Amino acid sequence: MARRRKRGRRKSRRKVVRHRSPWLRLFLLLCLLLAGYVAYLDLQVRQQFDGKRWSLPARVYARPLDLYVGKELTADQFQAELRALYYLPVDTATQPGRFSKSRNVFHVFTRPFTFWDGPQNSANLRVSFAGNKVSALTDARTGRPASLARLDPVLVGSFYPAHNEDRVLLKLDDVPVSLTDALIAIEDRGFYKHHGVAPLAILRALWANVRARGVVQGGSTLTQQLVKNFFLSSERSLTRKFNEAIMALLLEIHYEKDEILEAYLNEVYLGQDGKRAVHGFGLASHFYFEKPLAELSVEQTALLVGLVKGPSYYNPRRHPERARARRNLVLNVMAELGLIEHAEAERARNRPLEVSRQGRKAINTFPAFLDLVRRQLQRDYRDEDITSEGLTIFTTLDPQLQWQLERTLATGLQGLEKGRRIEGGKLQGAAVVTSVQEGEVLALAGGRDPKFAGFNRALDAHRQVGSLLKPAVYLTALEQPERYTLATLLDDSPLTYTARNGTVWKPGNYDRMSHGEVPLYQALAHSYNISTARLGLDLGIDSIVDTLRRLGVEQRLNPYPSLVLGAVEMSPLQVTGLYQTFASGGFLTPSRAINAVLAADKTPLQRYSLSVRAVAAPAPVYLVNTALRYVVREGTGRALYQVLPEDWDIAGKTGTTDDLRDSWFAGFSGDHLGVVWIGRDDNASTGLTGSSGALTIWRDLFRHFGRPGASRPVAENIEYHDIDPASGLLADAGCGDAVQLPFISGSAPHEYAPCARGDQALPNPVDWFKELFQ
Amino acid sequence: MKSYLLHGAAVVLLLLFVQGCSTSPPAPYPPPVVEQGGTLPGEPARPAIPGGIQPQPAPPVATTTSPAVVALLGQAENQANGGDLEAAAASLERAIRIEPRNPLLWYHLATVRLAQLDAAQAEQLAVKSNSLAAGNRLQQSRNWRLIARARQALGDAAGARAAGRRARELENR
Repeated sequence: MARRRKRGRRKSRRKVVRHRSPWLRLFLLLCLLLAGYVAYLDLQVRQQFDGKRWSLPARVYARPLDLYVGKELTADQFQAELRALYYLPVDTATQPGRFSKSRNVFHVFTRPFTFWDGPQNSANLRVSFAGNKVSALTDARTGRPASLARLDPVLVGSFYPAHNEDRVLLKLDDVPVSLTDALIAIEDRGFYKHHGVAPLAILRALWANVRARGVVQGGSTLTQQLVKNFFLSSERSLTRKFNEAIMALLLEIHYEKDEILEAYLNEVYLGQDGKRAVHGFGLASHFYFEKPLAELSVEQTALLVGLVKGPSYYNPRRHPERARARRNLVLNVMAELGLIEHAEAERARNRPLEVSRQGRKAINTFPAFLDLVRRQLQRDYRDEDITSEGLTIFTTLDPQLQWQLERTLATGLQGLEKGRRIEGGKLQGAAVVTSVQEGEVLALAGGRDPKFAGFNRALDAHRQVGSLLKPAVYLTALEQPERYTLATLLDDSPLTYTARNGTVWKPGNYDRMSHGEVPLYQALAHSYNISTARLGLDLGIDSIVDTLRRLGVEQRLNPYPSLVLGAVEMSPLQVTGLYQTFASGGFLTPSRAINAVLAADKTPLQRYSLSVRAVAAPAPVYLVNTALRYVVREGTGRALYQVLPEDWDIAGKTGTTDDLRDSWFAGFSGDHLGVVWIGRDDNASTGLTGSSGALTIWRDLFRHFGRPGASRPVAENIEYHDIDPASGLLADAGCGDAVQLPFISGSAPHEYAPCARGDQALPNPVDWFKELFQ
Repeated sequence: MKSYLLHGAAVVLLLLFVQGCSTSPPAPYPPPVVEQGGTLPGEPARPAIPGGIQPQPAPPVATTTSPAVVALLGQAENQANGGDLEAAAASLERAIRIEPRNPLLWYHLATVRLAQLDAAQAEQLAVKSNSLAAGNRLQQSRNWRLIARARQALGDAAGARAAGRRARELENR
């Protein structure tokens, strides 16, 4: 390269000698080079400014809280939500982001927010609570009842790019004039007059620096500072100064002052939060005060403006005295220039800094849930889009439920360790809670430490599921009503099965007993292994595999007889998918963590909509769910009702694996489905069954959900009959402990049990079922 | 041109379907309405719409319980009128979050999906509505009518006829 240039020069010199003065030629060449260089800088400047100017991390929000009369929500939960949103408690709420409270009535001034379905203005609401519900909702401006309102959603995390720059993008119109006025007053009074550089200011600064024998004053205009932030390192050299000046001039040629100012407001570096660099006033406002710019007081605005000069030197958390002095200096200048009244400045100077605790937004609040969100996003977006395109992601997370789950899991595991003398911290757990009909993931725990962002057991711990798989076996049976009903007697006597290859399989019951003939619903309720194994063999393993596939189980399934007893490894989230289909009445309903994604300009990009697929007829699913109700009424899950009220309608299943390695409980009630797993990372025994372990966590969690509403509707073509469990035949008043069981129409037995007297129907079968369905 | 026509048809369809939604006034806590029997008004003659989807008369009156859900149905109507079917779907999903077991909401969502030419999902959502509408023959017959149209759109003529028969049986019972 160098050689070629030399040769070129020699050649040109020869020509110059012949025609023109060599100096003129050189000058022209230099001009050309300079012009080329300037053109290059110009290109850079315009590209940076016109194109994508900033990489913006994706922001992840919890579900917005919908408010309406009758909503299940306590005043305490509501206040917790407001706290998570950093609403300020005040005596009288007069601006967005504030609320007042008197007893059970809240007066909330909500913040405006752009949702999937468009922008929503701020609202002035009065919300009253009675019992565990919203009892009244009124528009405080008009005094009229409001049918529905929505708070802005809680920010639960962000996905940052590798360089960890973060900002909240602002439009100039959104920025309070007091801030821009103060900024210009402090940093560049000639901003609206100069052309990018201010030579006089530079000279003034130079003189000041010479006098002080050091750098005490900068003569940079806002435009130059922007260029510096945009393109260049913080190195101090003449070349850099030169480039900076040229680029500043170029910026001013191409763009309006307001455009430059807007870019500056978004670009300027204002602090450091661990690895995350805080850029722009939008994020700085959240970082230091936990609220949007529009809600800042005059002294808070002044502090941010003051920070421009040196975010680390004036760091208000580390050096409050310096920060305060700097802030007050800004306030003085503002008063001198008439931007604020002197009296106001005086008041503001005496106010404390009021910065929030160290920025907590950097740490994603719910790492395990965010992990799921990220994985679901990765199906549709590239990693760099997720971290740099400024996506707004609306998730399904219910923070109230998530906090409850985290607390319950942590204290529950501690309690189990104490009660069973297990070494503290050895037990691990994971849990998923979804909405029954929609499959929305409302809460998710990946381990007992909710802040730990590592191994996510809810998604990645694939463990044996044991008896959790049994409902699929029973569904396969009950889908053949001519062969099997809930009353069909199954054989639970000892079984030895020899496979074609000669292997012998001898399944045993957990209580090491066999129970003779048991009605089908009891075999599931008590989780008998032998009768289930026999049932599975009668049905054929392949048909069980088919059922599991239909129910959405995707992992490898070995078509061995042991499959029917749960010899398959699944994660808690996968188990949730399986039970979702039962809970929702036979509809495969994908577990969704995301509702919608907005682009950086707040236009809708994608919605993850509710979708269902009927994979099992409602009637047989209804029968399985009935048996699952018996699990918790009289079977392996009956410990539930030691704590929960008798009138709660719950269906669920325990799961315990060999040597008590895994303790599972999956259950649904009302509109919630929950799956809990307890085990150890080293796969050693926990000493817990599904009932003594996971079930207790599930129980303590669901206790907080409030009483479940009306029971799920009875499926079509279902009829109830009184049955004598001992014989599986029809019962009447002569039978002592008859139960009322549902049957698919026409499939009920016709014969009467030996206990039946044959003269009268059962007058009043006292049965919890009867009460549930009345 | 074709897709424009289809889109137009979709909006017309939506206009028809949501008419019923907003007619029930947001009364404070009307008792849960369980429709029993009832007949559908005769189907007026309408021009056929490309894509094999036939418009259906609007359901008589929305059956919903809470003012919040009524408000969301109204919102869905406005969004559909404005041609934003996906926003209408989002509003209906929001309503479903409030009343997950209200078959009417699933039915409306099915109608939106059909208008969006997602006939397969429309059918599934109508089946879902059916599963929540035990004993509600009017809702069931509406669902079967919608299933018939969805199957028609999917090219399943025999299935469509069978669904139509189910709808008529329910109406005549």
